[in-house]
Amino acid sequence: MIKKLPLRFLALLFALSLMTGMTLGQDTINLRFTVWTGNEAHLAMLNGIAAAYQETNPNVTVTFVTIPFADYQTKLAIELSGSNPFDAGWMPESLAVPFLEAGTLLDLSSVTRDNPDYNFADLSEAAMSLYLRDDGVFGIPFSTSPELIYFNRDLFEAAGLETPDVLQENDAWTWDALRAAAKTIKDTTDVYGFQSHGQSIYNIHLWHNLAALTRAFGGDIWNAEGTDCLLDTAESRAAIQFYHDMVFVDGSTVPPGTEADFSAGSAAMTIGFLSQSARLGEVSFEWGIARLPEGPAGYVSVIGQSSIVAFQNSRNPEVAADFVAFITNQQNVETMAQFFPPIRASVLNSGAFANANPAVAPEALETSVVPSILNGSLLPTHVEFPKIDLAGRAAFDALWNPEGDVEAVTTAACEAIEAFMQ
Amino acid sequence: MISNLQRENLPSGMSLKRRDEIYGYLFIAPQMIGFLLFVLGPLIAVFVFSFQDRNLLLGQITFAGIDNYQAMFKDALFTKTLQNSLIFTAGLVPLNVLGGLFIALLLSGNLRGMIFFRAIFFLPVITSAAAWAIVWRFLLQSESGVNTFLQAVGIDGPNWLQEPNWAMVSVIVTRALKGVGINMIIFLAAIKNIPQDYQEAARVDGATGWQVFRRITMPLLAPAVFLVTVLTIIGALKVFDTIFLMTNGGPSNGTMVLVYYIYYQGFQFFETGYASALSVVLFLVMFILTLIQWQLRRRFVFDEQE
Repeated sequence: MIKKLPLRFLALLFALSLMTGMTLGQDTINLRFTVWTGNEAHLAMLNGIAAAYQETNPNVTVTFVTIPFADYQTKLAIELSGSNPFDAGWMPESLAVPFLEAGTLLDLSSVTRDNPDYNFADLSEAAMSLYLRDDGVFGIPFSTSPELIYFNRDLFEAAGLETPDVLQENDAWTWDALRAAAKTIKDTTDVYGFQSHGQSIYNIHLWHNLAALTRAFGGDIWNAEGTDCLLDTAESRAAIQFYHDMVFVDGSTVPPGTEADFSAGSAAMTIGFLSQSARLGEVSFEWGIARLPEGPAGYVSVIGQSSIVAFQNSRNPEVAADFVAFITNQQNVETMAQFFPPIRASVLNSGAFANANPAVAPEALETSVVPSILNGSLLPTHVEFPKIDLAGRAAFDALWNPEGDVEAVTTAACEAIEAFMQ
Repeated sequence: MISNLQRENLPSGMSLKRRDEIYGYLFIAPQMIGFLLFVLGPLIAVFVFSFQDRNLLLGQITFAGIDNYQAMFKDALFTKTLQNSLIFTAGLVPLNVLGGLFIALLLSGNLRGMIFFRAIFFLPVITSAAAWAIVWRFLLQSESGVNTFLQAVGIDGPNWLQEPNWAMVSVIVTRALKGVGINMIIFLAAIKNIPQDYQEAARVDGATGWQVFRRITMPLLAPAVFLVTVLTIIGALKVFDTIFLMTNGGPSNGTMVLVYYIYYQGFQFFETGYASALSVVLFLVMFILTLIQWQLRRRFVFDEQE
């Protein structure tokens, strides 16, 4: 008898815990929100916003789950097909179209566009373009980062050159000027003058770099409808040849297979997003930013965009959508502007944004960043982007040597990627 | 206590042997449950998936028959990556098996300092694979690292990781340096297991050093050689991390091996069904190679009693 008691007791405890678990489960909702930042300052800010939401919705808690960007696509898809999917999270522009077309994103129109308090008209329409489909609103961009030129002031000084921000002010900031400066710096200081975005035009950021180059020359990667490859146009070829010459004729630009980095002081200029300024906090040199240089087609701004979405598979879709609306409302966008350039015109044009980023001077933000956001063209997106990416990069690998033939490579690349554009 | 014992001995239909069996099963249950759930289950699932049209993102699952297998014949990238896997294996296996054997023979003596050299060769084995690959990526740059040394002796080194053929050589050698230590340890253990008497007896009979090695040491090492070869081939066909971190499969898919392609199909393109079919093919390739070796083993390894 006595021996059997513990078992019964345990069974009772178990039953009780199940019951309490069930009642708790009815009352408390935990939203799982996925992000790719592990930055403590970012997470502290997000947790602050979640705490504010909980004040008005005491039964809702929000957990932010970090997935490193390199694994984001993979893990997000796996989690969404699992039994405990994410409720909401960040979405980079490269995945937006595939995920949207696959029907994984929740329509947010009732809590955003159709809610007068949300002030939907305040959002830049151009920046919203990816997410407005079939009369629905499938995401709210929270960060529109223009591609900028970061430059090392110390190296420009050593080479006795005018810095890009000064050239920009004098309307003399062109790709030709950039190329000449890079060459002079390499010749006088023996440090590379220019480095592609993330040093990875040769690899994962091929398209980021090609977008900035080809658009300044009047070309592009593919057309807006995503049906035609434009890399084999004369304009795009001129742009790609220009870069190829910088690497293999001038020798001024970090070549493939060399691990040099702007933040280590081993390249004088690079292309980067605004958020990259966070990583330059402790470098040993003085640096500044300028907008992308003008090409034969004038000045074209290229912006990368990250958005907040709610997922179709969420167990609590109404709450998930409501939280997305909350985190992107006027007040929270102001809070996030310290790290992420917003698409709310009211915040962008307010002094709040100019003074928000401690790493970048307010004038530079106003002259280089704000206009770039308002007039920017998005990085290329495509529903078949993962396949285009692999096929296109493999074709471009043949270009990265001194004998690389731009015409042949762009023809091959277009052939390879157009296979996925029908 | 006594009553307990008596009760357990009551003829309740359970013999002592039966009870021992049950205890036995209970003891292996944690391992078996884990194996069934996390190894055998997914393995069977992959076979099932390979006959389905599955998309991870769309959540769509339809029966596809042998469509996935037929698609491979038209998939140029599949042929290319399978070739790459075989080239990688053909390069890595001789380096790792013969290299491991050679080092083990050199270091099998009892001279002072041998332990130090064994430790040196074993060190890469316990180094993190990621750190190893990234450090080598830096060493194999076009203008520094290894090429600086080559320059010093008048050789103009290639841009190792950017030219398709050199990139393949680079990942093979990098991987061989990492894995040769574990093979060395297995061979060392096998060498130490050979009774000294045999070799001494051979020498007394007038055998030369080479004859002792060829007629005594080598046959006795044969089981170890076969074990190491099987394991190295399987390991080579499964290579992923070195490729992922050093070349990303490039340049121009020159180092894209089958496992990397499976990863792309499954987790970048979300074509889970096709990726599963590719995995089944990889499994069959490994299975057939192992089977062939098993047959060869019967012919060449005399030391085993079956």
